[in-house]
Order: sequence, then C-alpha cells, then structure tokens
Amino acid sequence: MKVYFELNGKAQYVDVEPGESLLSLLRRLGMKSVKEGCGTGECGTCTVLLEGKPVRSCLTFAPKVQGKRVTTLEGLGTLEDPHPLQRAFVEAGAVQCGYCTPGMILTAYALLETNPEPTPYEVREYLVGNLCRCTGYRKIVDAVLLAAEWKREGRWR
Amino acid sequence: MRLRGVKRYHWARDVDEALSLLSAYQGKGAILAGGVDLARSPRTDIEGLIDITGTELSYLRADSAGLRIGATTTLSAILDHPQAREYGGGVLIQTLRTVAYPALRNMATLGGAVVSAHPWADIPTLLVALGAEVTYQSPEGEKRLPLENLYQTDFRRVFREGVLVEVRLPPWEGAFAFAKITRNAGDIALLNVCAGLGLREGRIAWARVAVGARPARGERLTWLEAGLVGEPPTERLWEQVAQEVRARLEVGEDRRASAGWRREVAGVLVRRALAQAAGKAAL
Amino acid sequence: MAVVRSRTKEVVGQNVLKVDGLPLATGQPKYTMDMDLPGALIGKILYSPHAHAEILAIDTSEAERVPGVVCILHHGNVPRVPYTTAGQGWPEPSPYDTVLFDKKVRYVGDRVAAVAAETEEAALEALRKIRVEYKILPAVFSIDEALAPGAPVIHDEPDAQGIYDPQRNIAAAVDIVIGDLDRGFAESDVVVEETCEIPYSQHCALEPHAVWAYFDEDGRLVIRTSTQVPFHVRRIVSRVLGIPMARIRVVKPRIGGGFGSKQEVILEPVAAALALRTGRPVKMVLTREEVLVSSRTQHPYRVRVKLGARRDGVLHAIEMEALANTGAYGTHAGTVLYNVGSKSLPLYNKARHVRFHGKAVYTNLPIAGAYRGYGATQGFFALEVAMDELAEKLGLDPLELRLKNHIREGETSPIFERLGEGREGKAQIVRSCKLAEALRIGAERIGWQEKRRTPRREGSWAYGVGLACAMQGSGITGIDMAAATILMNEDGSFRLLVGATDLGTGSDTVLAQIAAEALGVPVEKIVVYSSDTDFTPFDKGAYASSTTYVSGNAVLRAAEEVKRQILAVASEILEEPVEELVLAQEKVVSLRTGKAVSLEEIGLRAMYVANQQHIAATASFACPESPPPFAAFFCEVAVDTETGVVKVERFVVAADCGQPIHPKLAEGQLEGAVAQGIGMALYEEMLFSERGSCVNRSFFDYRIPTALDLPEIETILVPSEEPTGPFGAKSIAEIGINGPLPAISNAIYHAVGVRLTRAPFTPERVLAALRAKERR
Repeated sequence: MKVYFELNGKAQYVDVEPGESLLSLLRRLGMKSVKEGCGTGECGTCTVLLEGKPVRSCLTFAPKVQGKRVTTLEGLGTLEDPHPLQRAFVEAGAVQCGYCTPGMILTAYALLETNPEPTPYEVREYLVGNLCRCTGYRKIVDAVLLAAEWKREGRWR
Repeated sequence: MRLRGVKRYHWARDVDEALSLLSAYQGKGAILAGGVDLARSPRTDIEGLIDITGTELSYLRADSAGLRIGATTTLSAILDHPQAREYGGGVLIQTLRTVAYPALRNMATLGGAVVSAHPWADIPTLLVALGAEVTYQSPEGEKRLPLENLYQTDFRRVFREGVLVEVRLPPWEGAFAFAKITRNAGDIALLNVCAGLGLREGRIAWARVAVGARPARGERLTWLEAGLVGEPPTERLWEQVAQEVRARLEVGEDRRASAGWRREVAGVLVRRALAQAAGKAAL
Repeated sequence: MAVVRSRTKEVVGQNVLKVDGLPLATGQPKYTMDMDLPGALIGKILYSPHAHAEILAIDTSEAERVPGVVCILHHGNVPRVPYTTAGQGWPEPSPYDTVLFDKKVRYVGDRVAAVAAETEEAALEALRKIRVEYKILPAVFSIDEALAPGAPVIHDEPDAQGIYDPQRNIAAAVDIVIGDLDRGFAESDVVVEETCEIPYSQHCALEPHAVWAYFDEDGRLVIRTSTQVPFHVRRIVSRVLGIPMARIRVVKPRIGGGFGSKQEVILEPVAAALALRTGRPVKMVLTREEVLVSSRTQHPYRVRVKLGARRDGVLHAIEMEALANTGAYGTHAGTVLYNVGSKSLPLYNKARHVRFHGKAVYTNLPIAGAYRGYGATQGFFALEVAMDELAEKLGLDPLELRLKNHIREGETSPIFERLGEGREGKAQIVRSCKLAEALRIGAERIGWQEKRRTPRREGSWAYGVGLACAMQGSGITGIDMAAATILMNEDGSFRLLVGATDLGTGSDTVLAQIAAEALGVPVEKIVVYSSDTDFTPFDKGAYASSTTYVSGNAVLRAAEEVKRQILAVASEILEEPVEELVLAQEKVVSLRTGKAVSLEEIGLRAMYVANQQHIAATASFACPESPPPFAAFFCEVAVDTETGVVKVERFVVAADCGQPIHPKLAEGQLEGAVAQGIGMALYEEMLFSERGSCVNRSFFDYRIPTALDLPEIETILVPSEEPTGPFGAKSIAEIGINGPLPAISNAIYHAVGVRLTRAPFTPERVLAALRAKERR
C-alpha cells in the first residue's frame, strides 16, 4: 500500500507492507539513526517523533504515519550543522557507544519542547523508557540540562 | 514487530465500518488503536488490521455524570487533559504517570488497556476500583455495562467481535489513591492496589478497594469494603485492614513474586492506599 | 617559553571532544547493520528446544523447498573442528569444546542449524520446516546436580580438548595454597565465614550481536562484525572454516556496547560459512531474545570466604572457594575462575595463610562467558561482605578494617605470582595505589562517620550506609600484546592505526590523546583508524581493562619513535643537534637559538625534498605487569521494612586509575559500571523453567536500570602516578562493577541488620530475611 507522510520536513510517498513497522520503513528510507535494540518497545533505541511526540517505531505500524509528520535524528541536525542538543550530548560526555543516543536525543528534544526548565528528576522521569547500558545516565541528564540552559539563552532552533 | 502475516490495513471511517470489516474477516481481523499489544503479539493468523484511530474516539469530556473517555484516547492525552487532573483526587494522574514510559503512553490507548486486560496491568485495577462503565458496539448493537461485570464474562470473545468505544468514570465524593510495587521504574507491577473512600462526619461513607497483579487481574475486595463503612479512618483501622487482607486475599505466584510475599505486601499496599485516599478525601 | 609548556601536559588529562562523538550524536550510519549490500541473504539460526539431547536425524528437505531458501547448514554438512568461542590470545586457555554444529545439543537455545534465505520471512519459515529428531537425555541445571555422582556427562565427545575433567562435568579447577591455612585460622582471634551467590545475568549491550560476511572484489572474505576482538575473530574463523588467514579481513565498525558479550566469536563463523557456501553476502543479527538466551551470560557463582584476623584487625588467614556454573560450554570458564581470586585476594596482602580453590562446572543452561568484572565481581561480593562481618565481630569501623589491611605502594602479594589467567601468574609490585585516599575522600563525601553512628528511620523506611573496596588489573600479564602504527602526513597531521577496539568506551579518543601529547599536536591532527585486520596492526582486543594501558603504551612507543624521526629531520633543517631540539605545539624549536620549524615544513621535506622517507613507525607493547586500579565504594540505601523494597539513595565511588587521560570518559566508565552493578544487586536475574528454558527472555521481564532507578552516581577520580603506564595511566573499565553488590549488601545490613548474600536483593528476598530475623 502507498503511504504519504512528511519525513524530516520532506514529503514522502512510498510503498509499505501493511504489517511493516515504522522502524523498518525508516531504515529502508536510509534513516539509519533509527536503531533496533529489542524489537518489543522496551529499549527506546528506535524512538522517533510522530507529530513531535516520541513513539516507538518498532511498535508503530508503518501505515499509521499516513498524513503525519515524522522526525528522526537526521532531521534534527547534521555533522556539519549539528543541533545544540547533539552538541550538548557530546560536550557532556553523554555519548559512549552511541547506540541509545538517537532515541535519547529525540526524547529529550520532545521534553524540552514542553518543559524548557526541567529538574534533574523530570529529565530522568521523561527518559525512563530509554535504556542506556553504558553511562549510568548521569552524563545524559547533564547533557539535557546543559541543552535546556542553552535553549533558555536562545541558542536553539 | 512480532506480528506476522498481515495482508491488509484498513482505516475505518467509523465504528460501523470497523464492525463490518471485523465480521468480514471472520476472526482473522483485528481492531488496531495504539497497536502496542498487537505489534508485540506472536500471532500469525491476523490478516487484516482495522485502524479505528480515525473514528473520532479520542476525547475526554467531563460532566455531572463524571468523565467520558473515548476508547482511542492515548494515556498521554489523558495525562495532559486538565479535566483528568482532579478526578478521583488525582488518581488518574497518579496511576497513569507511572504506567510504562512517555513514548509508550503516547501510543497506548485507554481502550487498548481495557481490551488487552493484562493481569499485571495497572489500568484494569484502577478502572475496576473506580467503577468504570464501558460502552461497546457489537453485531447485536451498542451495549454499556460495568467493566467489572464484563470482566466476569468471556470478554475476550466480546472484543473479538465488537468495538470498544468509550469508558465512563462515575463521579465520586471522596478520593482514590494508587499504590504498586515494581522491580524497577517502567516495569509492570508485582502487585497493584487502587483504593478509594468518601467521608461523612468523620466516618467512612463508602469504600472501594481493588488489588491486581496478584498475579491475577485486578478485582475488588467487596468483603473488605463493606466492613469499612461507618468506621472512622484511623491508623488502627488501617492496621486491621492490612491484617484482614493478609488473612483473606487470594493470591498466587508467578516468576515475578511468590504468593507469600504478595499476601503480606498486599496488606501493606491496601493500608497505604486507603490512608492516602483518606488524607485526600479529608481535604 | 615553549620549552616549559611542552613539559606540562596539553592534551592528556583534558576532556577533549570524543573523536566519534558528533558522528554518533548526529546518527551517522556507523554500526555493522547500517550498511546495505545488494544481493544479500539473511542468516537465521535454529535453536534447540531441549536442554540435553542427541540429534538422531535432521531432515531439511521441506525447508529447502521454501521459496527463497538458498542454504541450510547443520552438523551433517559442515567440517567438525573443535574450538572455543572465547576471543582470547592464542593458545586460548578455554577448552576446545565447541564445534560449528554438533550432533548433540546441551542447553535450550543451543544452535542446531543455520539457514540463509533471500528474506527474513523465508529464513524463518525454513527454520519452522526443518525436522529434527531428538533423543532426549537427562539434564542438570545446578552446580550440585552436575557434580553429583552418576550425573549425565555433558561433554562426552571424544575430540574435545582442554577440559579439566569431562567425566565429572568439571570444565576447569584451581587450588593454590600459600602458607598453612589450618594454622592460620588456629592462630586467628576472630574467624568469620560467608557464602555469596550471583545468578545468571546478562550484559545487555543495546546493539545486538550483528555480522556481515561477504566477498570483496578480490574474492577475499570480509567479515564486518560487532566484536571486541577482530584479530581473534580472524584467527578463529580461519581455523574453524579452513580458510587461510590471508584470505580474511575483519572490520569492526562502531560497536553498540559489549561488556564482554562480544569477546565471543559467536556469529562470525556461521555467517562466514553461509557466505562461503552461497558465494553471496550474508547478514545476521540476533534478536534481543536470541541475545538473552543464546549469546553469553555472566558466570553464576557461589563463593565462600573464610577470614581469620588477629585482635588488632590485621588479616591472618583467608580461604576462598569459588564454584561456577559455566553452562553448556566452557568459554572463559577457567580464566574467570582464576580471576575470582587473582583480582580480589591481592587487595588484602597482610594475610600470611591463603587458600584459593574452586571449580567451573558444566550444566545444561546457557553459556556463561566474559562479562565486565570477569570473576572479580563475584570474588569481591563474598570477600567484602565477609570483611563487613569481620569488622562487626572485631568491633571495628569497616573503613578502619580496610585501611589496616589493604595493599600499599611498593608492596606485593604472592597471589600475583600464583594465580594468572587460567595458569600461574607473574610476580609484580604495586607501584601506584591511592586506595587509602580514595577511602577517606569517599567516606567524607557520603558522610560516613555521621551516618554510621546514627542510622536514620522514617516510617517504615530504614536507612543505612555501606562500603566496599575493589581492584582489578590493566591487561593480562605475559599474554596481552598490542601494536600501533603512526604515519605522518606532509601537512603535519598524523594517521594513527590501532588494532585496539573501541566498543563505546572512548578508547579511540584516549589513544589519539596519547599520540597527540607525545607528538606535540592537538587531537584534531590525529586521524584515528581502528580495528581493521587489513589496515591496522595487531591488538589483543578490548578486554581485561587493557586498552588504555597496553594499547596506550604501544601508541606511546610508536609516537616516541616518530618523534625521533621528526627531530632528525628538524635537525637537518635547523642544523642543530637533536639534543637541542624540542617538539611542541606543532613545531620543533631550538633551545639554543629559539629558531623553529613547523611540522608541515618537516613533513614536506621528508616526503618530497631531501633524504626522502615516510616518517612513520610501528611499535608493540607486551604487558610485563598489570597495574591494578583501586576503588572505594560507598552507598546509602533505604529499605522499606514492610515490603522489602530497596532504594539506592546515594552512590559514591572514588577510584585510582592512575592519571586519567580523559577524566570525563574515565568517570563515564565508572558510572556505567556502577549502574550495571546496581542492576545486578537489585533485579537482574535470568530465570529458568524446570526444563532449563530461560523464561524472562525480553527487556519486558529482564529488567535493567533506567534513569529513574539510579541516584546521581558521584564519581571521584583520585589520581596516582603509575610509572609503567602511558602518562601515568592505569585502567578504569571494569573496576566499577565490583563494588555495588557488597556495598549495597553491607548498607542493607547497616539499615536493617540482615545480610543479603544472594543477588539480586529483590523485595521478596529482603522481606524474607527480615521476617527470618524477627523469628530468631
């Protein structure tokens, strides 16, 4: 079946299998930042934004994005022009193996959209579904708080 | 995506269309809302998915009859809704904000939780305690009945043939509180409790208590509730409650916890939830 | 003046940006599975549903007829070559008790056959249609069952090698005695004994095991794989499949975490065999369920520790007995066993009488393998809980007891010599140790004295504080070797080629810092290329806390040689003797005249103008000793006395890793390891049905810590100067995981007076212990 949606600001009109996951569709479209870590929704590495809200792409049937807006990490910033959140993750030492990073950054982005001044606890509460086995989360929380500070200072987009 | 073998995806325009598609598939179709349980299902016999999220069933309305929540309303939408905040002494917020995690709550719907009715789930315990009523459309027409009663029947068959459309939460003079124990954050409950009460002239006017994940699905302890009415809400009473629960609650064991632990801790959680509800009700 | 500045470190010790940080934070396609190849087949594995069975027959005819199925491999059509999946240096100390596919299966999840097909659906359908006839054999699941007389023999195949006692299901054993243990305990004023148990648990790297195997344009086999040990992969695949090593290239792209699970050569020989048989690219990636059930686990252990001390608190005798369940195969069985003692007992070197003995036992459960901590975690759990108990019996502050007994700079322990990696070790002196400072700093940070004196109580919640110490090593003495190549470009930048394997730890960054520091350039001038067996020199791989120390020393040596060559060219240009020249800030300066020449001028001249040469060097470093890092762990817990729930309220770790090359990355290693240890302490446990099948085979039911479960882990680096380390550095990768189990157990004891000796400390176990205490 055909699905029409917006991916990182660009219109897409693509064939999908009716039982395909959004994860599979996005990786087929070259969005390799979307990772599979468990396939059952628990790890958070496949998180993308659907209409600006984090969802699990491994549990989202691809046809569901019909007429909707999808954002992956590729849509946030590039190597040449990274988003402040991406820079904050690197500066704070929040990236170790990097496998959880795309899902973490997108989830953090959604948090800061609705709560620009989160407490450390609120950051942890919002990231609770994104597992990281490398960092112990401390530097991830630091990164989000650093980015929040930048956002309040207007260093954002 | 564990579900395999899907051949067609339908966007139902309304509930009637969903119903007729469902019957046309003769058991090989499935209603899809948030999809989190379907996507994780190991079934291979589902050929058609019938998406009902385009049927205007995502809403939350408050009136004198309580809250009406459309079946495809996501848990996040409930959490964000100003009229959900006060209901039952804030128990909807208290419960839902610890169900899974934000990304899942953005997908999962209240109706999905009712239909899946996982024995460990918090929402059935919550809704049974609240006396929720559900409305569903079946080939025989629309039906409305207390969820508690529906769960006593072969409700899985009902939902294979019908479409859940709404959950109604009655108004309560008083407050509810929710308590649970999980292995860690975002985990399913090893035991969950929802308890509520109303106070009149310093005494308990009504009480409702449900315990779930024991490991069976949440059910009310009517034998406990009756004895509370007319009593003053004191520490002594809560202690008696804890002891009674320990003595009488039916519990079982699974790989997550033993019956012995569940029995002892259920008393503690019921006591804590009731005490918290009493505190809120007294405000 | 430049001279003075060149003596202070400019790059080492700085938190430079991680060299792969931004590419990862912007989601570049850097992992194994981020590559697509045309014409690829999908490989899938058929697993045993039985814990112990003989395969009487395999019928693949129906499976072969599934459209899209290209190749099916099983014991009947592959060569039988016994090997070990342990990615260790040659000759591997692990038994050769594994073949590609066997006629016998030894646990639920053992591999039976593999399919390559055009699509995943076709591969999965073929798996369902392979008919296997099994003769079910009796199975054993516990150490005691496996050791019982008459127990079924798990490894009865005649061609296995290196098993300690196959008839008794003993994969490996150890028994060393120093002094006279009986006399030691007889002479002790106080004796305590504790037994601690660690269950099956898992690494849970978020990236599952994944591999590509394909042929390049020259017909050479390329294996692109998520591994910690690319060179061992090449060697083992070469041997198992009979392909000359020169025909194999192993590439390690970015890795989504390993923690030991990828120090195992699991998928590579299967994918390579499928590629070889079909001539097509083959991709294999495990599902999370497969990772949990059929990759590798931590070694479950039961460790008994008996301590004897004099009245003054000085340890006099120590006995440690370690029993491991190594599961169906013995990968890392003996080496982990030795490490239980070798990485823990030297910490308390005052004891004159010591015995360490134990066994690693086969059972019909999943395969235990390398796991961060590598036995030290299991050893320290028992040792440090016993120390807590000893302190209580002696009426001493547990902190005081540690300070009285721990090893100091300039001291040694006979254990270093007696216990190595599955064999004897090498004597060594501890040249750097700031454990005493770490203990004092950590105690102050958590408020030890105050909190020990007055335990807090709030309603049903009881609070307590506990501590533990730990050490580890830095590489494997006498076995580990790493090499590095540095080549200078004519613009004064450098290429650093290392076989070292960055699995997310940041070792590429740390090694670049070491090279940059030695060569007087910023890190941006070092282009790191790592872990490609065609292009980088050998490195043992990322394990045993070795990269900073062993690979780092190789980088330093290569850099020093390159520097020598640079100075020689500069000497020609400046017409000054080399002794007068200093390399710093991207130029060479004459101390005498102040004249300078830039690295670019030097590079251009050497490459194009005079005495032409490529300024470059390769150097190796073999590990003559393994300087231990040390750490002190302090935690505060809250215990709900009514439900048994335990919360870790605070966790402080103070660690001596020598001079941290990159403090933030070092902290990150500690924080991650502590988090993993907290998970082990509180909920991580693989559970099995009575048929030996893992029942919690997803993250839904195998829980690992989330952001909300952990306190803000407080890390303090207490630098020492390790004279043998690159710029004074030692390791940091593993030590952090050794502390949480005993520290949390000891804190629970302080809070509520019950000793939790079996991990994880679930509400159920804690409550049961509390009720048992009340009944006493």
